[in-house]
Amino acid sequence: MKQRAQFQDAAKARRWARRLSVRVEKILAANPRADRDNIRHTLILLEQPPLERLQRSLIRGRATAIFRK
Amino acid sequence: MVVGLSAATLQGAPVVTQDVDLWFENLGEQKISRALQEVGAAYVPPSAINPPMLAGAGAELFDIVIRMDGLGTFADEIKKCVEIPLGRQKLKVLSLEQVLASKMAANRPKDKLTIPVLRDALAATRSVKRRAKKK
Repeated sequence: MKQRAQFQDAAKARRWARRLSVRVEKILAANPRADRDNIRHTLILLEQPPLERLQRSLIRGRATAIFRK
Repeated sequence: MVVGLSAATLQGAPVVTQDVDLWFENLGEQKISRALQEVGAAYVPPSAINPPMLAGAGAELFDIVIRMDGLGTFADEIKKCVEIPLGRQKLKVLSLEQVLASKMAANRPKDKLTIPVLRDALAATRSVKRRAKKK
């Protein structure tokens, strides 16, 4: 039963990744000079709530600042 | 209004930031000092050696901005801002287009690093908005 659920999750994840790739390619076709990773990361972030995006950005930004000190 | 890279990240741009830049129309407003008091912070007016600042534990993440390179006045920019729901409130945030315009105008080495990322994020968010409109 657990294994079946995992298969379903994996299939769902693969479908999501395929949909994401299609959208990235469409945006790149319209913006050939854009960076693939920037587009992909933006699309992934847009699936999250705004405050979570800000929180992640601050955690990473402040951690980087600590390493630089 | 939230400005800078925090504004960009709230709108989906994959950038990192160390603080939340806030642009106020009038720093002397009572509501600001009341809000700061509630979180144990205070406004420190500018001096010869310091820009205006927020001080105190509750204000560690926040910075004050008194002008934005390449943009209009606060009154002009607030009309073009985006509103992001935050609990029962709506947070006023400088639009991604205007964050990009300000970074291009400021053109400091650290801004130059973020310009291509913001440009790509804008392309992606515009595409998402167009897609949502079609549905």
